[in-house]
Amino acid sequence: MTLAPVCAAHVGSPDVYFQGDAGPYHLVVMIRTPQMIPGVAEFEISSDTPGIREIKIVPLYIAGEGSKYPPPPDIVNPSAGDPQFFSGKLWLMGSGSWQVRIEANGDKGSGTVAVPVPAYARNTLAMQRGLGFLLFGLMLLLVIAIVSIVGAAKREGQLQSGEQPTPRQRRSARLVMAAALVAVVGILALGNMWWRVSAAKRANRMIYVAPKLGVTLDPAGRMNLEIGDSKWHSSRADIVGTALIPDHGHLMHLFLIREPAMDRFYHLHPDRSGLTTFTDDLPPIAGGHYKVFADIVRASGFPDTLVADVDLPDLPGKPLTGDDAEANAPALTESARPNTSAPLSNGARMIWEREAMPLVSDRLLWFKFRVEDTSGQPVTSLEPYMGMAGHAEFIRSDFSVFAHVHPDGSIPMAAYTLAEATLGADSSSDKAPAEDMPGMAMMKSSGTPMPSEVSFPYGFPKPGLYRIFVQVKRAGKIETGVFDAKVN
Amino acid sequence: MAQTVSRSVPYDLSRERASAIPWFIWSGIVAVSSIAFGLYWDISWHQTIGRDTFWTPAHLAIHFGGILAAFTCSYLIFSNTFSRDPAAQSAGVRVWGFRGPVGAFLTAWGGVTMLTSAPFDNWWHNSFGLDVEILSPPHVVLGIGILAVSTGVVLLLVSVMNRADSDARAKLSRLFLYLCGVLIFQHMILVSEYNDPTLMHSAIFYTVAALGTPTLLVAYARASGHRYGATIIASIYMLLTAAGLWILPLFSAHPRLGPVYTNVTHMVPMAFPILLAPAAFGLDVVLNRFSNRSRWLQAVLAATAYLAILVIVSWPWGDFMISPAARNWFFGQNYFAYQVPPSEYHLAWEFERFEPTRAQFAMGFVYAWVSGVASFFVGIIFGNWLSRLRR
Repeated sequence: MTLAPVCAAHVGSPDVYFQGDAGPYHLVVMIRTPQMIPGVAEFEISSDTPGIREIKIVPLYIAGEGSKYPPPPDIVNPSAGDPQFFSGKLWLMGSGSWQVRIEANGDKGSGTVAVPVPAYARNTLAMQRGLGFLLFGLMLLLVIAIVSIVGAAKREGQLQSGEQPTPRQRRSARLVMAAALVAVVGILALGNMWWRVSAAKRANRMIYVAPKLGVTLDPAGRMNLEIGDSKWHSSRADIVGTALIPDHGHLMHLFLIREPAMDRFYHLHPDRSGLTTFTDDLPPIAGGHYKVFADIVRASGFPDTLVADVDLPDLPGKPLTGDDAEANAPALTESARPNTSAPLSNGARMIWEREAMPLVSDRLLWFKFRVEDTSGQPVTSLEPYMGMAGHAEFIRSDFSVFAHVHPDGSIPMAAYTLAEATLGADSSSDKAPAEDMPGMAMMKSSGTPMPSEVSFPYGFPKPGLYRIFVQVKRAGKIETGVFDAKVN
Repeated sequence: MAQTVSRSVPYDLSRERASAIPWFIWSGIVAVSSIAFGLYWDISWHQTIGRDTFWTPAHLAIHFGGILAAFTCSYLIFSNTFSRDPAAQSAGVRVWGFRGPVGAFLTAWGGVTMLTSAPFDNWWHNSFGLDVEILSPPHVVLGIGILAVSTGVVLLLVSVMNRADSDARAKLSRLFLYLCGVLIFQHMILVSEYNDPTLMHSAIFYTVAALGTPTLLVAYARASGHRYGATIIASIYMLLTAAGLWILPLFSAHPRLGPVYTNVTHMVPMAFPILLAPAAFGLDVVLNRFSNRSRWLQAVLAATAYLAILVIVSWPWGDFMISPAARNWFFGQNYFAYQVPPSEYHLAWEFERFEPTRAQFAMGFVYAWVSGVASFFVGIIFGNWLSRLRR
């Protein structure tokens, strides 16, 4: 068994996609988070409801003392070309669990929605080659120039006008220039040392590191998981929190995907066995090397996706129960042809209602899926699955991207509930927390037939080959449609 | 009125009105003042408004100062280099075939260094996050550029002053003392993290006060030719800092970043100045009394007097500054940046034990004294060189 730490809040997919209601206005929100914190995030908001005159937007922490003291919001006016589109920038000055509070004011009154945004420093930037050459060239120029100036000052600085320096003064100036050169090179060497130490210290303090996930298998076929310590989290206990809260009714969502083909997929929900340990009686497993993704949410709403690798033998296992699900699919290969239809059980199928245009990265896209019965008719037997109309997992072929997305977007439901709860009684948003989320609304209306379609707002973080696992519940059975997508 | 600057000096000064201060001196003083006040404003901006862009007024003031100084000095260099007047040609120093005053070259160098720091700083922000500290590597490059610009203007003014007759010299000397006060003000901004009253019972406060500041004080005092030059320069620093403390809060401002732990409604100023003038007076007296002794002895005596007076004055002053009596607009101990939660106010009102043990505290004072001696020694050499600068 092996373990390997990787990334946060999804893996390799840091941007936030969200749809929800700010009072009478239905908004679709995309927030590009900065690579380094403190940094500047970019947001794009489009409203399905016309009539918004202005949007007030402000970022603040979800939990902790800082959540009580927001700065005055920025006022954003509609874009010149599209009265239902708004964009701008947000300053995120610390890592942690933020919310972006959006107040929409317009013809239909006003309403507020709180979008959770996990902020964390991801990486430092290597210096671009051109900039490196430019700065190095300037450094050389400045070194030579300052030595020359010091020499000139020594040689001629104290002479009367018209007086020429003596040979002795010239020699003395050359000595001073040599000393100045040694001093400047020494200062540069010390500066370089200090810069490296300073940069390493800062990176060490700022850059997010997911807790390690220890994975072991006992002889009875039970998987044991242990969440390791993380200095990044413990040093931000007040704004990130270390305790766990349930998301969709589970403290952990565990995904096992067989590498490299992604031909076996398991979505499980281990039981907590200790403060930081979980166990799961595994279902029947086809042996192989598996990538493990474990989604958890902290008390502040900050989500972590823990990552590990594990080799599993063929296991007879126990039957799947509750919300646990599995899927088999053909091997994913670079030559695989993207599909828009995936078989489900009993002859049903799931259709990806793709637009004709090619898929592109770094842009909000709508992923719409329709479930049909054997005769091609939309099914009427869909039910909420863990409170949502559906769940979708987007995984890049090299496993560098993993995102667990819902119809409301890429945010964890638990974080959204916490953020909405902070709106307080003075908010003009008169809904109960989380009531406006499509998935939750559907859960409440489970007595009536659900639509046969489910859609997800999401954007691929980078080009490549992706496999998408789309999960719905139909007539009490969890079904998974598997789709492949090439992204430019 | 008598001719103020001798006819043989370069820059075609004969075209200036007889009693006028050369235009490039005014230009240099405006540039340095703009940089120094821009730095002060920038610190206040970070404490009050928070949101930082290239185009904040404080940044523009700093950039304006750098550009004005660099253009002024570039003009001087080119006009000297390509002048047909042999007197002008032979009056400057020669660097890479160009001719001009030493100060002009140094200021131009500082301008280029300041420019160099801009793309470096931009990359640093993207790579390591927006500014949360004063002394980041690109800021140090910017600081070196500012130091060079400022020192270059000092050299420029000193060289003109040293060539001037007595009437003009008196005027130039007054400007020079003001300029040096601004430079100490600027230097104190850079070391402000260690100037806090909460450190006045720690050795680090005295070590930082003994490192660098004495060099500038003694060198500039000596170059000014004034018997109490250091006292005047230190007083100007104190006056400028106190003026910032009293004037900035008159301007309304609100934070634009969160969380806003302290509800700031006006610009938050920097702290009350440290009591530098009494220590500067002590070193003036010592250096006047022992001016004919060796430089090392002067440095040892000056450092001892300077540090002793600083301790005698600052130790009880620290007690006062952390007391409720200083929590008012005059002493400024009631101002807090928007990032400071009220639960942390008490940290500004109690002494920090920077050196955890007595041995470290004692060693800190040894470092302070050694730093002071070294700083004074360098300052005396630099001051003597300055007082003979002609070009």
